[in-house]
Amino acid sequence: MSVADRARDALARLVDASATERILISSAALVLSVLIGAVLVLVAGRMTTCSPSEAVYYFGTGFCYDPIVVFDRLFLGALGDPFSGGWSPDGQFAVTLRETTLLVFTGLSVALAFRAGIFNIGTQGQMVVGALATALGVLWASAFVSGVVGTVVLIPFGILVGATFGGLYGAVPGVLKAYADANEVITTIMLNFIATGVALYLVSGVFKDPDSAANQTVPLAEFAQFPAVLFGARQNFSLVALAFGLIAIAALYYVLEHTAFGYDVRTSGVQPEAAEYGGVDAKRTIVASLTLSGALGGIAGAMYVMMVLGTFQTGIPAYGFDGITVSILAGNNPLGVGVAALLFGVLKSGTTVVQFATDVPPQLVGVLRGLIILFVAMPEFFRLLAKGLPGAGSKPEAVATDGGTVTENGGGADE
Amino acid sequence: MATAVHLDGITKRFPGVVANDDVDLEVERGTVHALLGENGAGKTTLMNVLYGLYEPTSGQVRLDGEPRSFRSPRDAIDAGIGMIHQHFMLVDPMTVTENITLGSEPRKWGGLAIDRDAAREAVVDLADRYGFNVDPDARVEDISVGEQQRVEILKALYRGADTLILDEPTAVLTPQEVEELFDVLEELTAQGKTIIFITHKLGEAMRSADEITVLRDGKKVGAVDADATSQEELAELMVGREVLLDVDHGAAETGDVVASVSDVVVEDDRGVRAVDRVSFDVRAGEVFGIAGVDGNGQSELIEAITGLQEADAGEIRFLGEDVTTASRRQRIEDGMAYIPEDRQERGLVMEFDLVENGLLGSQHGAELASSGRIDWSATRDHAEAIIDEYDVRPPDANADAHSLSGGNQQKFIVGREFERDPELVVASHPTRGVDVGSIEFIHERLLELRKQGVAILLVSSKLEEVQGLSDRLAVAYEGEFVDVVDPDETTEEELGLLMAGEQPDSGEGDPAGPPTDHSGAPSPAEGDLPDGEQA
Repeated sequence: MSVADRARDALARLVDASATERILISSAALVLSVLIGAVLVLVAGRMTTCSPSEAVYYFGTGFCYDPIVVFDRLFLGALGDPFSGGWSPDGQFAVTLRETTLLVFTGLSVALAFRAGIFNIGTQGQMVVGALATALGVLWASAFVSGVVGTVVLIPFGILVGATFGGLYGAVPGVLKAYADANEVITTIMLNFIATGVALYLVSGVFKDPDSAANQTVPLAEFAQFPAVLFGARQNFSLVALAFGLIAIAALYYVLEHTAFGYDVRTSGVQPEAAEYGGVDAKRTIVASLTLSGALGGIAGAMYVMMVLGTFQTGIPAYGFDGITVSILAGNNPLGVGVAALLFGVLKSGTTVVQFATDVPPQLVGVLRGLIILFVAMPEFFRLLAKGLPGAGSKPEAVATDGGTVTENGGGADE
Repeated sequence: MATAVHLDGITKRFPGVVANDDVDLEVERGTVHALLGENGAGKTTLMNVLYGLYEPTSGQVRLDGEPRSFRSPRDAIDAGIGMIHQHFMLVDPMTVTENITLGSEPRKWGGLAIDRDAAREAVVDLADRYGFNVDPDARVEDISVGEQQRVEILKALYRGADTLILDEPTAVLTPQEVEELFDVLEELTAQGKTIIFITHKLGEAMRSADEITVLRDGKKVGAVDADATSQEELAELMVGREVLLDVDHGAAETGDVVASVSDVVVEDDRGVRAVDRVSFDVRAGEVFGIAGVDGNGQSELIEAITGLQEADAGEIRFLGEDVTTASRRQRIEDGMAYIPEDRQERGLVMEFDLVENGLLGSQHGAELASSGRIDWSATRDHAEAIIDEYDVRPPDANADAHSLSGGNQQKFIVGREFERDPELVVASHPTRGVDVGSIEFIHERLLELRKQGVAILLVSSKLEEVQGLSDRLAVAYEGEFVDVVDPDETTEEELGLLMAGEQPDSGEGDPAGPPTDHSGAPSPAEGDLPDGEQA
């Protein structure tokens, strides 16, 4: 067998892997990335200088960085040190959950679009639009309510505003794709720039907080923000927001697996011709799934404003782009998004712990993080690729049963 | 004359399917050899074996008598074989010269730079030698499709091809360009090149080839001399005459008109009329058949009726309502069942299991998904009922569609569509690639539905199928119905003539058809090349 054949064969097996196999493959990838990362840490530690007392010794050789400490901080540190007695509800674990909550929404946003066969790179922009709309909407509505009633009313209201505007902003590339055949990858990327640009213009001018040097809106009232429940008060985390995230995961799973709309979306995503045959309105499905995807991105923005910042400020971190990785990591499965977002949250929050606890340069921690994500995401990424590749997975059969039809009909010019 | 290409007992198996079954092919040097067959007959698979894209399961490829084994197209190209695919592999913004020499450019400065002058000269020389009219400096995006095809041919010749394989070369050409192509082929063979020409069009095979090999269902069913055959004989070879399944369907008890098609026109991407003002009615309780060689507009007509393609003109009525622009979903909900021609592209979602596939088309219906919520347990029961009733094997509703053999996939689709309780069944090649036992079963089911007063529109290129099942039979040719006949009163020979486009009364040719499809007689547009003998 030639190299190409063997590669093709491996891809085919990857495509046909069962759910359990996929989880095993991802776990093996995680272990492998940690091992390779450990070697990198050792090598880097060999190439720097430190006093002999600070060095660790393996195999009779001294190293300046200890991979065991690095990975211990990265993972256990992110969980707030559950085994060493220092665990506190306000500790690092709250940071991890805060990141996880935001990534759940952006991850779901990307995953939904992916399931419909659409590559939504615009979650970031939809998040910005949702965040700005939520901040302005809640500021406006704060005048009418206050106290506990305010919290109960304003939080759902803020989420709704974020979802609506994020959804509308997602509908734009949807309409462009469905009715003007515009590639969504291009349009969503462009719309990201427009979103950040317009947001900057608005909060540096019309809606700028006059008391602040930063480009931000007036801060939200305390009652208009997510309350800290049980833990996280110092870390801007709210269990309520996480609960919303879990509900969103369950809801999206239900929609995809148990509703006619979800069936339409999934069918369009894997085999648009069959979807068309089955009476699916391709255009409407594209617009609807991008709108819903945008709404989820918008909710991420609402969460960021009402839970983390308490205001809208320019320069929202790239949660939308991280959502792409989270979604691929999760195989675009809503339930998987929960797990992938947690892993991603751990890595993000663990990075800061490593920086505090060791001398390891932040760039190296970034490399370790990248390695882990790359390794865990690659099998799923190749699965996605292989599905579009003729001759991988179940496709040889498809070519065969129709004999030459596939090739002969080609682009349909003939029949 | 020497045999240039010799395929000896080629068998190519794919999981569950034999695409080529012990096929022999002998091509004489310096001739045009047509490989004729319906879509799915295995022509392209066979040529992909010769071109090194597939390795045969068994059998031997010989060139000039020497056994060869190609592991990739690279090997085949080195051995002097060139293939021109139906869809050109050209880089549009680059010039003709750049495209032709791409990857094997003449070099200068010790291989560091491309010698553009030498490249251009080589292309001009090559074009002159074969009398090709191409501008070496034109950009590919600026030239016509016919010229692009010549560039593809030159590309193969530049790489030293002695044997050229053309896959459905006329599909993208206008009639005039087809004539030009045939001139080119004659010039090439005159200079000793060997041409293998894949086609499913009888007229073109007759017109251009010296010899014709006919494939059907992956088997070679005949090799004939182009001068010593007729379109009727070829049509019969292509379509075949399997064991006539004796279905006694009795006289039709027809009711109201269920579907009515009037003056429907469907244009293809190039604006050519694939369906040209076709009109007919299908009544409750009758089977209306459409016979014809594939590619005469049947697919487009069916797609216009079922709502997958929009008719460019005319009207389609279903149960008295105008549905010409109705959505596909609307038509499904109104009671139109459809067994599509391409089951793996359209009829099934290949990576879904049978439970999910049983829902396809009913996902908005009240029975399995009332108010938008799918009742998976009812859906599972539904799929299991189909599997049970239609003998789908393996009888496992959790099996993914792609794990089933072609015949079982088809039985599942047939079951799903028949169980819709339809008013109209549109069945397009319902038994293609299905084993004999299942064919009989599907036929019986169709006739049962007919008895229950369902209207059935049947398209098939299998003559005995449409003839045996239909109450009225239309013959499609070049997007029109040549005639509508009573299948019991018509012989296969008469049908063969109709399928070749010959009007029952006028006898000779189709006055409206383009010159390529005139049987026999060379067209006046052929130019100054000598008529008659080509080899």
